[in-house]
Amino acid sequence: MKLAYYPGCTLHGTAREYDASTKVVCKAAGVDLVEIDDWNCCGALEAIFDKELSMGLSARNNFKAQKTGLDLVIPCSICSHNLSRADTALKNDEAFRIKIERALGEKYKGVKIKHLLDVMVNDIGIDAISGKFTKSLKGIKAVAYYGCLLVRPSEVSKFDNPENPMSLDNLIKSTGADCLPFMQKTKCCGGNLLMSKQDYAFLLTKKLFDEAKAAGANCVVVACPMCHMLLDGQQSTIEKAHNTVIDMPILYFTQLIGLALGISEKELELDKNMVSTSKLIGSIGKGETKVEVKGATTDMAKAEEAEAAK
Amino acid sequence: MIKSSDLDPNFKYEISNEPGGENIKKCFNCTGCTVGCPVTEIDKSYNPRMILRKALLGMRKEVLSDDSLWLCASCYICYERCPQDVKITEVIGAIRAIAQREAKAGKIKITNNKPLFDHLFIDSVKSNGKWYEAGVSGTFMLKTKGIGGAIGYAPMGLELFMKGKLSILPHKIKGTEEIKRIFEEVEKK
Repeated sequence: MKLAYYPGCTLHGTAREYDASTKVVCKAAGVDLVEIDDWNCCGALEAIFDKELSMGLSARNNFKAQKTGLDLVIPCSICSHNLSRADTALKNDEAFRIKIERALGEKYKGVKIKHLLDVMVNDIGIDAISGKFTKSLKGIKAVAYYGCLLVRPSEVSKFDNPENPMSLDNLIKSTGADCLPFMQKTKCCGGNLLMSKQDYAFLLTKKLFDEAKAAGANCVVVACPMCHMLLDGQQSTIEKAHNTVIDMPILYFTQLIGLALGISEKELELDKNMVSTSKLIGSIGKGETKVEVKGATTDMAKAEEAEAAK
Repeated sequence: MIKSSDLDPNFKYEISNEPGGENIKKCFNCTGCTVGCPVTEIDKSYNPRMILRKALLGMRKEVLSDDSLWLCASCYICYERCPQDVKITEVIGAIRAIAQREAKAGKIKITNNKPLFDHLFIDSVKSNGKWYEAGVSGTFMLKTKGIGGAIGYAPMGLELFMKGKLSILPHKIKGTEEIKRIFEEVEKK
């Protein structure tokens, strides 16, 4: 399988471990990635006050991808949302298409755009990828965190259920790791408020940690660099702001899959995560450890306790 | 008390003429947007239904100058669940666009820092084609929190830099002329 690849700004910066692990995992899965030439920023969520600008910036990348003649894969949920939305607008909104074609001096026919998780689960397939696993990740107790734009809005992202997605859960389970129920799986980390309303962003992220901990997770698995920025990059600042200890490693799903494929920690850049992943890696293969349910206050954790008591 | 003489009956048309705001008149105020809103969960005074209702009633100045306009986290839960397909996240974006024009014309004052960050971000994309994280974040901290804030940001910046995650200089793409032309085309409304 050969696909055009749009990494987006963060994968060449703060999310470099997502870029590195995407490349090695795709190679191992037999997917050839061709990075599109001279790509630009999609406008992220910062251009939301100007819908046409947001889609216009994204559209230039669609034109670049079109030249490769390949389908386009994107690991970032925000970029994937923006470029998909631009593709729809270029196809359906003639006035918009004419503007962008005039700016770029080319005609637009369309590009098939998919998030990397969609490609992994639905095109490569969980059976095919797990057939290449060389190592069981038993000992990892993960929660799958989808966040917002990976599965919403469903008119843009069509590959999973927007209210209760399961694709990442199923992928995690295929590695031998536990994937625990997580009510907050599609709640917002507050990433878009990080700069302008940091206290709110931290409250939103902290809610995710509270439930992940109550569920007994020893890591959170994500598929978006913005979620990772909040959960991993800002974790120590949240600990200080809320005078608490979180100590929760946050893995990109490609890092998790990479471990199961037997790819080295160095190639997966597990040392680039801000929260240390070494204790988590050490727990692999340690078998059944008793899950501590300290401070379990959520209804779900209580229900699980009651279930266990039966 | 709401005085009908203070209302602007054209406000809903003004919003629906803005890209993203087209569906606002479909709203029948069911509150579905607010029930699932993660920001409402942490701040009960944040109420997207109220923003929509006020906008439809024509409470123009109040909607445009209310800080809550800038609290939406763009998570798209309301957008997904809205039974009337109002596309609330985009409606909020459209109202933000109007608010920024009013602020530029000196008619209202925006105290929230969200538009400042968004514009620094977009300006960096306009000149480089990619967003310049160190420059944008540093400038934003300096402008909003002063030199102390910028210094407070430095340890995290340094940690990111040491891990090879933060570039001191901006990355410029080759096609910056194309980016400029896209800005010109979409600015011709």
